[in-house]
Amino acid sequence: MYKFLHTVGDYVLLMSRVFTRPQKGKIFWTHLFNELQSLGVESLGIVAIISTFMGAVVAIQTAFNIDSPLIPLSMVGYTTAQSVILEFSPTVISLILAGKVGSRIASEIGTMRVTEQIDALEIMGVNSANYLIFPKVVACLLINPVLIVFSMWLGVLGGWIAMEASSLVTTTDYLYGIRYDFRPYTVFYALIKTVFFAYIIASVAGFYGYFTDGGALEVGQASTKAVVSSSILIILVNLILTQILLT
Amino acid sequence: MIEAIHINKYFGGNHVLKNISCLFEKGRTNLIIGQSGSGKTVLMKCLVGLYEVDSGKVLYNDRNFSAMKTEQRKMIRQEIGMLFQQGALFDMMNVEENVMFPLSMFTNKSIEENKDRANLVLKRVNLENANDLMPSELSGGMRKRVAIARAIAMNPQYLFCDEPNSGLDPQTAGVIDHLIQEITLEYDITTIVNTHDMNSVLSIGDQVNFIYKGELWWQGTKDEILETTNPELNEFVFGTELTSRLKKSIS
Repeated sequence: MYKFLHTVGDYVLLMSRVFTRPQKGKIFWTHLFNELQSLGVESLGIVAIISTFMGAVVAIQTAFNIDSPLIPLSMVGYTTAQSVILEFSPTVISLILAGKVGSRIASEIGTMRVTEQIDALEIMGVNSANYLIFPKVVACLLINPVLIVFSMWLGVLGGWIAMEASSLVTTTDYLYGIRYDFRPYTVFYALIKTVFFAYIIASVAGFYGYFTDGGALEVGQASTKAVVSSSILIILVNLILTQILLT
Repeated sequence: MIEAIHINKYFGGNHVLKNISCLFEKGRTNLIIGQSGSGKTVLMKCLVGLYEVDSGKVLYNDRNFSAMKTEQRKMIRQEIGMLFQQGALFDMMNVEENVMFPLSMFTNKSIEENKDRANLVLKRVNLENANDLMPSELSGGMRKRVAIARAIAMNPQYLFCDEPNSGLDPQTAGVIDHLIQEITLEYDITTIVNTHDMNSVLSIGDQVNFIYKGELWWQGTKDEILETTNPELNEFVFGTELTSRLKKSIS
């Protein structure tokens, strides 16, 4: 319990150093654009592949489970869209990003710690926590919602491709199902979740990377801890936000 | 001039630095020597503020660094250049960007002015035409020279070098030592070098501080160190086969 509270205290103190005004605006913007590229644009591939296949699998499974003639086949489109928008894209893709982006952030900052690059920043008088972590948090907050919307679109598209290829549901039924009882609030709810998850991914990974102590082995351990902790936090926050926003 | 006054530092129950007081003078190469684990790196980190002292104080030209707040320390830190053991160059930046980093961060000069300054200090450390190389493409000696160039880019008043010769062959180590000494005299700065390399001690040790088990055990110059009767220092200095043979041949 003491260790947990100690960790939470360290995290809060670190965040108080992260969320300060950047020392040099121009350098911050350059850094931010680099992070948008490395944390966001470079994740497009994995997000595209997982989302398309996820949507296809959800659509096939739904179609497979509808064996009553009383249930219209358009329900396949409806279920796929609802599943992808409400849960699969915001939560599953965020968990994937916690692995990809989180481990990258933790290992990058951890390596800087063990090779004394963070000490070098501190000696120069640079707020290293702000310089290293703040652009990554802002980049994740900006780019993750874009990735999730992209994922939603591809998930639904993947479902349609699977239905077309398998001839289980016609395009007309599938599209009708997608539009049936569509509530824009579900997208808003998904994006709210995404913003919280993005903050968790970047800040938790930054925290574990920043406090790495030792050598290469510890960098690996920090990276693993970052992924595990942020995944657990995402699941917990998912439950809390769903309770608050959907009931 | 940097002054350490009655510095004590603990890690848990381990008393790592024991009441250390010493003066590091301007325009001289001040060495901190001692065996691995003696506390010399901790002392250096206390001097630059990477570790907080548990008691005592550190004065930079009579300014009490230990009592300063973060913002005040930032001002002092812009007067400090530091050379780390492995260079601590920023991996994602090339040589020129590494050297320009403190200039871009703390001055309002144009990119061209910063580039000119970077080229000047790179020339000073004999590293011309290496601007576009990444740290991973540099040899150990080149990394150290880039780190020195970055450390002096802001015209520091204080230069700290943490084991500048670690991982270098004796000839390259000599080059780095002489570069540090030349820069100390040229810029008239206070230089503190943390080392256990006896070649460095004998070539650039204007003032030598020997730390033994966390205590300041001996102080003197590079000439005095050869004639000392202090048993612990003798064991440290003449502990290797080479130095013990040299001592026998001299005596």
